[in-house]
Amino acid sequence: MLPFSIQLTDGTPVSDQILLAVRKALLTGQMKAGDEFPSVRTLSQELKISPTTAHKVVLQLKDAGWLNSRPGIGMVVTQPDQPGLAERLAQITPECRALLKEAAELNLTLNQVITHLKSL
Amino acid sequence: MITISDLHKRFRKTEAVAGLSLEVPEGQVTAFLGPNGAGKSTTIKCLLNLYRPDSGSASVLGTDSRKLGPAQFTQIGYVSENMELPLWMTVKQFLDYCRPLYPNWDKAFEAQLLTQFDLPLTTKLKDLSRGMRMKAALLSSLAYRPKLVVLDEPFSGLDPLVRDEFIRGLLELTEQEGWTVFVSSHDIEEVQRLADRIAIINRGKLALDETSDSLQSRFRAIEVVLPDQSRAPVSLPTDWLHAEQAGRTLRFTASRFQNDTQLAASLREAIPTASTPEIRPMSLREIFVALARAYRLEGK
Repeated sequence: MLPFSIQLTDGTPVSDQILLAVRKALLTGQMKAGDEFPSVRTLSQELKISPTTAHKVVLQLKDAGWLNSRPGIGMVVTQPDQPGLAERLAQITPECRALLKEAAELNLTLNQVITHLKSL
Repeated sequence: MITISDLHKRFRKTEAVAGLSLEVPEGQVTAFLGPNGAGKSTTIKCLLNLYRPDSGSASVLGTDSRKLGPAQFTQIGYVSENMELPLWMTVKQFLDYCRPLYPNWDKAFEAQLLTQFDLPLTTKLKDLSRGMRMKAALLSSLAYRPKLVVLDEPFSGLDPLVRDEFIRGLLELTEQEGWTVFVSSHDIEEVQRLADRIAIINRGKLALDETSDSLQSRFRAIEVVLPDQSRAPVSLPTDWLHAEQAGRTLRFTASRFQNDTQLAASLREAIPTASTPEIRPMSLREIFVALARAYRLEGK
């Protein structure tokens, strides 16, 4: 079992899909700082992916500050230092504005858009 | 791990392997793909000294394939779709028979795999399902923790559950230092997530050898809309494969994709009236299909 939800699909590289799933799990609270992160072997066995890919994913997460290696335990989830909520939201404001404009043109309600965002 | 240079093997009039060269690196899963009859099994049998090459050579674990002996075979695990097993033996007898052949046999690992594979010790191999028999064969080839595992069409005819168990078992081995997997298949679907490298053999020769990452980064499915009544030019850039137009929509596979800007630029040059392209990444299976069409992959 993996501590985050993932359904691998074709098309985009497996490593990108895992990174996205892990980020989402951290955002939704499915995984929290201090949690143990699965080993390379568990990742590769659970997802039936090459250990090389699994290893690469772990390194990328570590580089991005999401994982820390703790001797004796393995990888542990960390929350990287990040700016305050307002600042982070400000970063995605232009995309949100564009999305709302596009949604209005397509005659979609805010709730429909929110439901769709959650389903991604 | 494996180096094949200009390998030739002929059976009467058929040249099964016709000058194949390939390098299989350590610490990766290399998928050896090609249509049935392309020469995959013959190549593998040459690698394992089951066939003698007519010319050219292969070196496995640093030893010429023609000189492979017991010392090397304790480091190589081999499972083939149609390998001959002592069918009259029970699973237990089979393992008892294999164990003394390998000084490096790991009994604890054997026990772990037995549980994992859910194999019945007292059943004769001939009474096992095909999937169970393949698992028994894999167990007997993994329990001594070989450095190199060679699998010849291991998944054909296995149901998805058994295939998953099989892959899990295989991946157990990659925990140790120094492992290499070389797996042949006629169906990329079976190995597309597992493979770090893709080698394609066609008519006994190497058609492609590339990492999965590199393939996925250079291939894109492109779709553009053309103005009313207009046809795409007959000659398009040669790296645009399988261009097809239906109504206003033109589709093709970009095989040397770098980035969106560069693609948009070459599109403007080739078809100035085309709309902004829709650019979509492709799965390895789609890429394989595109390549198969481009190379006209066929068996013999």
